Amino acid sequence: MKLRSFFKKPLSLILAIGLCFSCVKDTDFEQYDTLTINPIMEVSLVKAQEPASSFVDSSGNQLSSISDQVVLDVFTSDFVIDNLIKAELVFGIANSIDNAFQIQIDFYDSTDMLQHTFSIDVDNSPTNTPLYTEHIEVFENMNLSALKSTTKLEITINLISSSGSILTPDSAGSILLASKGIFYLKISS
Amino acid sequence: MKWLLFLGVFMSLHSQNKQLLYGFKEVPQQLHLNPGGQVDYRGYSGVPLLSHIHLNAGITGFSAFDIFADDGRDFNQKIREVSYSMDSKDFVVVNQQLDIFSAGFSVNTSLEDKLFVSFGMYQESDIFSYFPKDYAVLANEGNHNNLNRLFDLGQLSVSAEVLSVFHLGVNKKINSKWTLGVRGKVYSSIAQVSSTDNIGSFITIPGANNNLKHVFDLDMKLQTSGISSLREPNASNELEVLKKRLLFGGNLGVGIDLGFTHQPAPEWTIDASLQDIGFINYSKDIKTYILDGYLEYDGIQSVFPQIVSGQTAQDYWDEVQKDFEDLVEIDSTTTSYTKWRPIELNSSVSYNFGRKLDKECNCLDQSDPAFQNRVGAHLFAMKRPNHLQWALSLFYYRRFYKNLQLKTTYTVDEFSFTNFGLGISAALGPVQFYIMADNLLEYQNLAKSQSVSLQLGFNYIFKNNEN
Repeated sequence: MKLRSFFKKPLSLILAIGLCFSCVKDTDFEQYDTLTINPIMEVSLVKAQEPASSFVDSSGNQLSSISDQVVLDVFTSDFVIDNLIKAELVFGIANSIDNAFQIQIDFYDSTDMLQHTFSIDVDNSPTNTPLYTEHIEVFENMNLSALKSTTKLEITINLISSSGSILTPDSAGSILLASKGIFYLKISS
Repeated sequence: MKWLLFLGVFMSLHSQNKQLLYGFKEVPQQLHLNPGGQVDYRGYSGVPLLSHIHLNAGITGFSAFDIFADDGRDFNQKIREVSYSMDSKDFVVVNQQLDIFSAGFSVNTSLEDKLFVSFGMYQESDIFSYFPKDYAVLANEGNHNNLNRLFDLGQLSVSAEVLSVFHLGVNKKINSKWTLGVRGKVYSSIAQVSSTDNIGSFITIPGANNNLKHVFDLDMKLQTSGISSLREPNASNELEVLKKRLLFGGNLGVGIDLGFTHQPAPEWTIDASLQDIGFINYSKDIKTYILDGYLEYDGIQSVFPQIVSGQTAQDYWDEVQKDFEDLVEIDSTTTSYTKWRPIELNSSVSYNFGRKLDKECNCLDQSDPAFQNRVGAHLFAMKRPNHLQWALSLFYYRRFYKNLQLKTTYTVDEFSFTNFGLGISAALGPVQFYIMADNLLEYQNLAKSQSVSLQLGFNYIFKNNEN
């Protein structure tokens, strides 16, 4: 009997440790539901490098503007619509042409309705040294909804003909455009 | 699927170290850890499905309590702190074993010579993953403020497997000093998933023609076996398929365990074993997914069609889109592959002392001449994809009666420096029960524990006649 009672003790001790006292305390696993991450992604956007001669047509006459457009479905994707909370489009322009420009960016939705537009004024460079202009367009609230319905981007470079010299095929300088988007995401569990 | 769920429940609860069971002479399942362990019974039979139940879960770097504590602190802040305090060498491991049956008996090969033969079958699940730190940083911060930082996408290293193992071992006591053993194994892999040899990176650097240039370099692979047929919508009789795989119908492999026990003097014991020196050849129901590509992207070139006719930014955008699609395009193959089992090493040195004295005659109690105490040190090591997992234990073994033995351990490993364990083996007549658990200090709140290991089982022991 002595043996049996002895062996009961450590056995019950183990069972007690294993079953009674083992527990998971002071925790709240439902906190998982509040999991969010806020990554900020920087992505290259449009780039352009145009010499002064680009603004002259085949018969040597100065053009009033040049433009290009892109149809894209990135901004209307489910991921962007659900998770994008703010965006900044950062444009950097280096102009060494002796002509002022206005760069205009238009945002159209799938029915070709203009959703958003902005323009950047670029001074002429009389000495053909690069002049730098930076513009940051911030998309929040209403603007952000406009961005999220955009399926077409149009970029137009307008010449301000009253400025600088008239451009010919031999005019010096070029206009460089660099851009990136900074996208603030909020991704929830 | 029910079976997978069932296994999943088992898996959800394990580090493969069994410091309490190793060298615990009275428990026959110690032969699974060292086929060259000492045996002093005629035979045993494990109670089917109950002879060895083992669960072990471990995580380095943090405990569930660190993030799920109900302390009013911001959960996302805690997640960030934990993920930043960890690195890509941290890992999580879950291991579960269940003896389906096991038995052993001694065979007289001659009048003097005896062999102990043991055999059985067990089911095992294993999940192992390193912490992909760079993924966590990228997910938390994005590439903003991380220009020129190389995100190592090769940090993704994860594997999971469910398999059954049939084994047959022989154990021979050569003389009073040496016992040797070897165990042959046939593995049948029920399902296996692994993505371990990945190479890949993502970096954002200042561009020449634009503010930024993004460089993606991917060479990633996910190997699966036994999964794709179960995922087919018309997969019927999953239970039957899984049962068949459990019984050698899966992807097969072979391996051996080797071990010895050496007693240079009755007081001293040195033993060691190598387990799972073997491989599995995966050839059935294979699906390997490959992500292989390189891309540099610095923006969409605007070309202004008034100038160069024929091409517009649209063409560039379409090209960029296609490049990205190609980059993330996943190829799949069904080529067979072979994987080595994660080899394990166990070794210990111990000192035996304190024989039982008969009070009446003040001489050695001939009915129980064994040493009553044993102290020693035990080393465990296991091969993981990128490192060697290890544990070092000090142990004290105490034999109270022929029917009751206890072992306590203090273990230092990658999970903690305060791991105390207790194991007990008790016999009622021929029926033996054992239970072993470590990290006892943490049982008051399992959430604070970084690892938990538990083994228990029932055996029917055929004692030696002289016992």
